Amino acid sequence: MLGEMSSIAFIILYGVSYGLVLALIAIGLVVTMGLMRVTNLAHGAFAAIGGYLSTGLMVKGGMPFPLAVLAASLVVALFSIAVERAFYVYLYTAPELEQVLLTIGLDFIAIGALTFFYGPNVYPTPLPFYLAANVDLGIQSIQLYRLAVVAVSLLIIAALWYMFDRTTLGAQIRAAVDNRTMAQSTGINVSRLFSLVFALGSGLAALGGALGAPMLPLEPLYPFKYLILVLIVVALSGFGNVKSVVGVALLVGIVETAGRLLFPSLSGFMIYLLLIVLMIWRRDGLFVTRRAQ
Amino acid sequence: MTRALREAAWTLVLSGMLTSGSIAQETIKVGIIGEFTGSFATSGESYRQGIDAYFAKNGDVVAGKKLELIYRDAAGKPGDAARLAEELVVNEGVKVIGGLTLSSEVAAVAPVMTDAKTPFTSFSAAAPGLAAKSPYFVRAGQDVRASGQAAARSALKNGKRHAYTAVSDYVAGQQAEEAFTAEFKAGGGEIVGQDRIPLSTVDYAPYAERIANANPDVVQIFVPTGAPAVSMLQAIGARGLMKKIMVIGTGAEAEDNDLHLFNDSIDGYYSVMYMTAQLDTPLNKWFREYLVGKFGAEALPNPHSVGAYDGMTIIARMIESQAGKQFDADAAVASVLGYSFEGLRGPMKINDDRELTQNYYLRQVQKVDGRLENVLLETFPNIKP
Repeated sequence: MLGEMSSIAFIILYGVSYGLVLALIAIGLVVTMGLMRVTNLAHGAFAAIGGYLSTGLMVKGGMPFPLAVLAASLVVALFSIAVERAFYVYLYTAPELEQVLLTIGLDFIAIGALTFFYGPNVYPTPLPFYLAANVDLGIQSIQLYRLAVVAVSLLIIAALWYMFDRTTLGAQIRAAVDNRTMAQSTGINVSRLFSLVFALGSGLAALGGALGAPMLPLEPLYPFKYLILVLIVVALSGFGNVKSVVGVALLVGIVETAGRLLFPSLSGFMIYLLLIVLMIWRRDGLFVTRRAQ
Repeated sequence: MTRALREAAWTLVLSGMLTSGSIAQETIKVGIIGEFTGSFATSGESYRQGIDAYFAKNGDVVAGKKLELIYRDAAGKPGDAARLAEELVVNEGVKVIGGLTLSSEVAAVAPVMTDAKTPFTSFSAAAPGLAAKSPYFVRAGQDVRASGQAAARSALKNGKRHAYTAVSDYVAGQQAEEAFTAEFKAGGGEIVGQDRIPLSTVDYAPYAERIANANPDVVQIFVPTGAPAVSMLQAIGARGLMKKIMVIGTGAEAEDNDLHLFNDSIDGYYSVMYMTAQLDTPLNKWFREYLVGKFGAEALPNPHSVGAYDGMTIIARMIESQAGKQFDADAAVASVLGYSFEGLRGPMKINDDRELTQNYYLRQVQKVDGRLENVLLETFPNIKP
């Protein structure tokens, strides 16, 4: 009985921390895809760059982990504005195939650059001693780092929820997601909003990459390795639906963790099984309330 | 005047070409197919280092002929490896091919080599039964089953009786697991749990949790080098298992050149391998110092650089056997059967089935002078898969 309790506790704790990191990375993509209608396959590259940057700041610059994560996210957010102005502006009106081709090209550039600067191997992220320790929660012991990930992610998600739901900026973003032309005609500077949202999305990806690096190790192929997982979260969340991302990512994290713990040999398929079932059952997104046609 | 000058110049050029032609040494070409780009690119880099050291130690002249190496990049694709092998034999006229990191590449190249009657050796492919795929194949790496067996013996010898196996779900991992399981059971041990982990796994914490819940006293690991190995071993370390039970690797998860990728939670990790960077023989010591001196502190010997060096020894032996004759592939392969020599990894012998008899080493990661190092604990001599 204690064994089962501890298994359930493990699935919840580890599934939630894993799912929340996915949520951080995926939120950005859901926002950019929903708002800008760009199939942005280069999203994982921003997460990778964030991770490499923060680890570099820690290892080479001696910066403490929390500060390095924050600095890397900000730098990537600023950098992404340049990328958006240079490449993405041309994609807003381009057909989807061209969007896919260009953004996947950006992935290859990122992979090449990361290999060139950091080598083809894993780039190890040291965990500060105060996060490496285990704490015993009675039924299950968990690494402090995982708890920190949960806390930080929840904080950021709460802030995002507040921004989307309670601020003018959030209202503008939601308006632009729903109807771009209409939003523009009410005087919202959609082009500036796009840059801002793109920076926000990329910054969040970088945050996920940096914060999650001790869990999802950095390697040059990172942009592709986690793209599928993130796309699954995006597909199940529905277009531009920020609130459901968290729910879906948690579900994905818990299903993956439970799969590995309970059906280890089948765990590679569990996530796809979930995807198939949910895509048939709820094609528009898991938590989307269906609109009247 | 100008005409006379021009003629004189031509004469000079022509005579220069003729003499250089007659002085130039005869060369013999060897093809090296490796991974120089893509996700296995670190192995290609190690091949270059091992070969570089081989030439530094032995020179590049074998039986009066200069060895000319022609590198090709298969980038982890068996189909490309087969095409490149054909191109090397047909267009470049190579006599022997070396390299071939992946067993799938060896399998793809084998029929080409059989048709072209060209000997080939793999510096690191580890699947069993590769020799059956072509009569021209000679092993220079290992058969992974021997690693599994040696690990099981190490565990039994250390008084372990309850084993858990956690291997990546692909051929090499499965073979290592089966070999370990058979040997461990034969020695009176009991298997308390077995996991085959999909290669796509990113978060390994659930597997560490499963291992902890099964309460074994030893766990066999086989996970590919790089991100999977780092994630898996750090998950095990974070779960506090590294100090509590014997965690023993069989798949080059944490060779000395990779130890800088890990945090200190790997301290205490056991592993079994057919080479070891800290092996205390004059040849290996020279090799280690040469690599570190030339390629930097992290370029410690690993299975790929050691395989390349020892593989070059085998290739040189084949070429030497054909000195002064038309190169005959069958005779070249026959010449290395029963060949015993001192490799970087210690004494080696090529058996009649073109597989190797070699030592296996039980190591443990320990902090030596503040640096993580695979410390040699025990040698299992002359293991034959």
